[in-house]
Amino acid sequence: MTDLTRTPTKTSPKRPFFFRRGPMENIATVLIATGFLMLFQPFALVLYTYSLVTLLAGTVMFIIVSKFPE
Amino acid sequence: MATPAPIARRVRGLSDRAIAWAFIAPAITLLLAINIFPLLWAIYLSFTNYRANRPNAVVEGVGLRNYQRVLTDPDIWQAMQTTAHFVFWTIVLQTVIGFALAYLIDRKFRGHAFWTTIILIPMMLSPAVVGNFWRFLYEPQIGLFAYAASMVTGIPTSEIRMLGDVSLAPWAIIIVDTWMWTPYVMLICLAGLRSIPDYIYEAAEVDRASSWRQFWSITVPMALPFIMLAVLFRGIENFKMFDMVTLLTGGGPGSVTEVASITLKRAAFESWATGRASAFAIILFVAVFGLANIYVKALNKVKQR
Amino acid sequence: MSSANTAHSVVAPSDTSKRVAGTIVIVYALITLIPLVWIFLTSIKSPPDSISYPPKIVFTPTLEGYCNLFTTRTRQTPDYIAALPEPTSTCDEVTRKRNMVIAGPSNFLPRFVNSLVIAFGSTFLAVFLGTLAAYGFSRFKVPLADDLLFFILSTRMMPPIAVAIPIYLMYRELGLSDTALGMILLYTAVNVSLAVWLLKGFIDEIPREYEEAAMIDGYTRLQAFRKVVLPQATTGIAATAIFCLIFAWNEYAFAALLTSGQAQTAPPFIPTIIGEGGQDWPAVAAGTTIFLVPILVFTILLRKQLLRGITFGAVRK
Repeated sequence: MTDLTRTPTKTSPKRPFFFRRGPMENIATVLIATGFLMLFQPFALVLYTYSLVTLLAGTVMFIIVSKFPE
Repeated sequence: MATPAPIARRVRGLSDRAIAWAFIAPAITLLLAINIFPLLWAIYLSFTNYRANRPNAVVEGVGLRNYQRVLTDPDIWQAMQTTAHFVFWTIVLQTVIGFALAYLIDRKFRGHAFWTTIILIPMMLSPAVVGNFWRFLYEPQIGLFAYAASMVTGIPTSEIRMLGDVSLAPWAIIIVDTWMWTPYVMLICLAGLRSIPDYIYEAAEVDRASSWRQFWSITVPMALPFIMLAVLFRGIENFKMFDMVTLLTGGGPGSVTEVASITLKRAAFESWATGRASAFAIILFVAVFGLANIYVKALNKVKQR
Repeated sequence: MSSANTAHSVVAPSDTSKRVAGTIVIVYALITLIPLVWIFLTSIKSPPDSISYPPKIVFTPTLEGYCNLFTTRTRQTPDYIAALPEPTSTCDEVTRKRNMVIAGPSNFLPRFVNSLVIAFGSTFLAVFLGTLAAYGFSRFKVPLADDLLFFILSTRMMPPIAVAIPIYLMYRELGLSDTALGMILLYTAVNVSLAVWLLKGFIDEIPREYEEAAMIDGYTRLQAFRKVVLPQATTGIAATAIFCLIFAWNEYAFAALLTSGQAQTAPPFIPTIIGEGGQDWPAVAAGTTIFLVPILVFTILLRKQLLRGITFGAVRK
């Protein structure tokens, strides 16, 4: 790779995956969307039952990870 | 900027910090009193067996039982599917028609500004008052809609019972919503199309990309954040749809158009099961709040353009 | 659209594509206008004309719908009516033709006045509070500003029925049920979120240098706000006010659940207008027409700001 040619500031140690905003926000978004599909789907009552938990998890996660720096 | 504030200002006026809070506090206080306090109250009620029509009865905590009941109730599950059907089809129709209209208006034909304004009118009107009048248009014998539909399809007007027929009623509300809100999607899509700089198309012309390719590889992707914004907002709005549906069908015939808000209203203000209704309200709120997070993210994305 | 080899096929659409686009858009616009035109036409039809089959496009216009909207009537015998003195108004005349006499005014006017009072009251308050808060957010470093702004916006997204349950209980405790004040406070709370977001955008666009120059000239921050920022923000404030007004004017869910008599606004009232043997459609149409006309005017006044309003200020142009 060309890492050596870059200045150190540019390749400053990346935050671990779980503490970066971008990817985590996307995961939370997917979670919220999943919760919605579970709420709406006509196939299994049990999925509907657990939709609230999924939505809640996604929303709480979204709020927390949106505080992380990019 | 870096110089210290002149003494005179500090003496004569309030400090910036004080002004900032004095300016923001009234709005926040009002929201706390009229939005957040009731919300917290609803959360509390959702864990009790409180009934608003019996204010003097003993209130007992019931733990998660209200949530359990709402989330395992097949009737409420059915209402969610009715809502889903409504939300899905209104969004599909409004996005397709709205985007197509925006694309056409973006051709900037003569008088496009005038006709755009005309198209926008339905969106600003009261869904309740206009929804109520659509009941008249949908009347099987005397209504204009049934008359026009029968002219086109050849089916006798007495059989086009838009609000009385189990298979037609869900479409009756979708048609009115689409009539009202397509302009909304159109307006936002139009902004998206206009935000695409000409030079990108010019570059594509140089590369001899066909119009078809340009449409799919420039127009659609560049307008996508705007389309997302419109879709999310219409999704949130239609998820909580109440007024127009109440006045058009009231949830009927039977319960084929009973969307979530109508079920909620019945539980809260007709069965007076306040505790259970509150639990249902909180569930709807969490869902909307989750979408609102995504919506604001989309909003910021569009803002950067 | 026609071919890829015209060097300006997209950047400057060809005449043919313009004409086709224009035709389709105009046809769509005319179709969406039909329900609105029909509301107006129904309002000037007589009740029998309004329910004729096939629907009548040519008819003798009458003010009967408007008369019925504003009055209550009682049925009388033809002898009784013949014995009455000459009719004093058009409405008298129209009513007597149907063997009825005017018994008194209907509830429409008070409901309409309620709508006016509540819509204007809440708009004024929302814009006032919103302007202050927007200035605060725009010019000062407020801790957690982004979170507060999101919180403000999310309150507008709440499902109205979900809010209505505790508000109903709260208003019952406070004696605000079915009062104009209660409705004004509620609509203000809903509108303030839109007002803050929109106005923040407008105030952000006013260069800070203007106030800073004024403050160097000896103005206090408050004076600078009043004499420099407010005049610059007039257009924005006016646009915001119209948006708030339209929301409060059109609102139905809260009004239907929290008001029943005294403070009832027009939207829950209009659907309840009935005549003999069912809904009096010309009267309903007349009420609807009167109710919609102000919004039509506002929409036309507001067309340049509409986009901004519906996206909470995110999309400027």
